[in-house]
Amino acid sequence: MKKKSGLLLYVVKKLLAFAATLFAASLLIFFLERLSNVDPIAVILGGKRANEATIASLREKFGLDLPLWRQYFNWLFGLIKGDFGADFRYQQPVWSLIAPRLGVTLPLITMASLITIAISVPIGVVCAIKQGSAIDGGLSAVCLAAVSCPGFFVSMIAIAVLSRVAPQIRFTGSFSGFSGMMERLLLPALCIALGMIALGARVIRSKMITELDSDYVLFARAGGISERKIVWKKALKSCVIPYSSVMSIQIGSLLVGAVTVEEVFSLQGLGSLLIDSIQGSNYPVTQAITMITVFFFLLLTTATDIIIAAADPRTIKGGGRE
Amino acid sequence: MIAKNGASKFFTPSVAISCFVLAAIVLISLAAPIIAPYDPLETDLSSTLEAPSAEHLFGTDQNGRDIFSRILFGGRTTILGALAIVLFSMAIGIPMGLFAGYFGGMADRLMMRITDVAVSFPTLLLAFVFAGIFGRGLRGAILAIGIVYVPMTARLTRSLTLSEKNRGYVEALRAAGCPTARILFLQILPNCVPTLSSQLTLDIGYAIIDLASMSFIGLGVRLPECDWGAMLEESRNLIFTRPLSALAPGIAIAVTVISINILSDGVQRYIDPTKRKLKRRALRHG
Repeated sequence: MKKKSGLLLYVVKKLLAFAATLFAASLLIFFLERLSNVDPIAVILGGKRANEATIASLREKFGLDLPLWRQYFNWLFGLIKGDFGADFRYQQPVWSLIAPRLGVTLPLITMASLITIAISVPIGVVCAIKQGSAIDGGLSAVCLAAVSCPGFFVSMIAIAVLSRVAPQIRFTGSFSGFSGMMERLLLPALCIALGMIALGARVIRSKMITELDSDYVLFARAGGISERKIVWKKALKSCVIPYSSVMSIQIGSLLVGAVTVEEVFSLQGLGSLLIDSIQGSNYPVTQAITMITVFFFLLLTTATDIIIAAADPRTIKGGGRE
Repeated sequence: MIAKNGASKFFTPSVAISCFVLAAIVLISLAAPIIAPYDPLETDLSSTLEAPSAEHLFGTDQNGRDIFSRILFGGRTTILGALAIVLFSMAIGIPMGLFAGYFGGMADRLMMRITDVAVSFPTLLLAFVFAGIFGRGLRGAILAIGIVYVPMTARLTRSLTLSEKNRGYVEALRAAGCPTARILFLQILPNCVPTLSSQLTLDIGYAIIDLASMSFIGLGVRLPECDWGAMLEESRNLIFTRPLSALAPGIAIAVTVISINILSDGVQRYIDPTKRKLKRRALRHG
């Protein structure tokens, strides 16, 4: 009974922190954008000449004639209603620019995440079981190299190698249909996954080694429970906590973090729209993508914290991850 | 504080090799103006896309510039840039963390709330936004990434300060009337140095990758200036014809960062035999 109310309180606290952080992030991003010395009207006009009357009407249309705080609240309430406003450059609803990009980036990072989880756990466990062996040494060295290579470099190596070995594969260009998308996204997803696989395997390996050295494992061994069961059923459970903490942050960063790999494979993802909007001072788009990314990131990390707390109430006291 | 025989333990073969490699890379990059056989910006349209030869060690790029010379100069930019990022985050983050941890109360809560917001942004996302405000160019990119690294350095310093401030020696110094600044910077800070140094070494590696990423997507150095990230971007269309020349800057990044990671692991093992995992590591985003 007491445990349950503790968890409920924790969930409420986490959700409040989620809302408060999102609000603070919206303040930060809105006013940071205003620090730049580029005049929005210049961006809207895009270099065209205009008379005073046109400029005044444009100011009114985009709400730029209002005091800054009114502009902020208009934007914030729009966000809550799911309306991101109109962009400066094309003067279209921001969402209509973002939606097609999400159609590329979301499947890509979902694929990368699934690949990561499927591969990193077994690698980490095998390294831990065979600690100190040649297999562990080899895999650990590969992991170290993989976490040290930026994703775009990995992508370029993949293209350089595959274009020689299997010249029939197309790396860039358009695609159609679900299977076409899968085919085109598989290689970039693998390139994104490589670094995360290596990081995840390192986390599992180090936690698993500590776990296999602990008293309860010794006890289970003495009780005659098979080694396979100890590793995969008991010890692995404890690895889930640090693993999911690290992974939720990694996956949460991908929405924009995948941009360098998308660039190499000429994929029109969310990240490249963000970069374009930053370079073109197209604030509404920059703000919208930033808020979506922060929302996604916070959602993943908060959900992970709550799931961890539900699975292991001891983490509630320490506040989970610092 | 550290036993004398520790020296032999620190230099395991892999740490020794990575130290040597790093020292070589840093020295060669810093000495680029002396060593480089060509001007990295000088274009020569009569000798574009040449294959590696005795004259041009790694060949030439599409503008006839010597790739080897560009890697040397690019390395200088990348390595000095990464150092500047980490130094910036130290200069602001360490005092912040010391004050927040030592005084507690409002200042501490304020710092924690501000950093809470900062770490709710993926690292690169926030760096992109800042770079947009500071304007394109190397200086803007360094400042942008440096600012993003501050909260993490501040939080680590704060947690280390918290564990130091209630120790006997701090209380004794306070009772003896030692000025607070002296206690903070000359007594507490030195005791945080071991853990900080391991993390900050790691951060230099991250800074190299982040800075290269910024340049790669066009928010970093401006052409024709180069760093390893911008060079990789430029050489993307050479990938099918001259893969090794195209990939050379990436190999330089990888070798440098791998060495830094091995060194950081070594420092961590040396100062903390229980291999306590640093919490910050989990806070970092790829």
